[in-house]
Amino acid sequence: MSDSRPNSSIDPTLPLRAKAGDRQAFAQLVDVMYARSLRFALHMVGNREDAEEAVQDTFVRVYHNLSRFRDDARFEPWMFRILANRCRTVLEKRRRHSVVIQYGDVPDRIGATSEGGRDWTEEVYKVLDTLPAEQREAFLLRHVEDMAYEDIAAVTGVGLSALRMRVKRACDALRARLTEVMRDD
Amino acid sequence: MTEFERDPIIDRVRDTLRGAPKATPDQRAVARVLQTVWESPRPSVWQRWLGAWRLPAVSALGAGAVAVAALALGFVSRGAVSPEGEAAPMAATSAPTGEYPVAQPAAYDAESVRVPTQFVFENAGAAQVALVGDFNEWKEDATPLVKLPNGLWTTTVPLSPGRHVYAFLVDGTLLVADPRAPKAGDEDYGREGSVVMVFDR
Repeated sequence: MSDSRPNSSIDPTLPLRAKAGDRQAFAQLVDVMYARSLRFALHMVGNREDAEEAVQDTFVRVYHNLSRFRDDARFEPWMFRILANRCRTVLEKRRRHSVVIQYGDVPDRIGATSEGGRDWTEEVYKVLDTLPAEQREAFLLRHVEDMAYEDIAAVTGVGLSALRMRVKRACDALRARLTEVMRDD
Repeated sequence: MTEFERDPIIDRVRDTLRGAPKATPDQRAVARVLQTVWESPRPSVWQRWLGAWRLPAVSALGAGAVAVAALALGFVSRGAVSPEGEAAPMAATSAPTGEYPVAQPAAYDAESVRVPTQFVFENAGAAQVALVGDFNEWKEDATPLVKLPNGLWTTTVPLSPGRHVYAFLVDGTLLVADPRAPKAGDEDYGREGSVVMVFDR
């Protein structure tokens, strides 16, 4: 399917062509961005159904708001800002409805084993779950999506120093919890 | 990266999260999203101003219903290429004109809706050109193209809605991505292919 690598480069003419009404260009945008968007949403909200809904909702909003996309702007931060908002909405909705994951349930993002084996992968997701949403968001954008801090600032609306602090705290938490797991591997 | 970010644990966490298997979309996901986008009502000025408009929640069941509805309708996304005209920018979905033979891919499933999709390739010097892709299991002899007097090669293939990866096989040996179509990130045939999106309507 689509390119799920970080920083998958987008032909800069695509958003402009899509904005001008070229449906094929918009289809290419979705094709290029879908996998990355789903990955980010899945790591943010923790289950596939909510993640797919957030991504779908994002592309609908992108499509209907392309007229507001500035010709000189970069598409990825603009789109991720909408996606991050959708993920925050999902998390807030879940908090209000107090969804409880029963003992024994496994969030969707804990799937098959990765190269490090199931324990490592599970521990990574456990720590990720314990992070405050704003730290998780900043960490994912910085380290998984490989975004520059300036772009993350555009996505989140948060200042650079605060973002750096969020990423640092997330890294510290991951390091503190995973050092032992890594040693046991 | 700053010093506090760069260490083996964070690198491994990053690799784990980037490779999350459940984050891999299924083959129809992009087509489903596009179908929903095309069918979504444009928000009113007031809704956009308030920022409060919402889509109805689409569950997996709902998305499935959209896909089924999409299959029942069919969608033509691009026009046909005439023999005398310029080459199309990429593979085109169109109603067959009857002027060119319609090739049947090896894996054709008569029970499902298929959208006639025209492929055009420009190579006046080739002796033969075949279309290979995920829809004909990359079989070299399944979908030959027909040469037109103006040097274009063409064929029309009924494809299922969704994303397909393909390439042209020139003279039985040289595999060429469609120079006018988006490149596929995956390499189903060991070399880079092209992508065609087929839509229902």
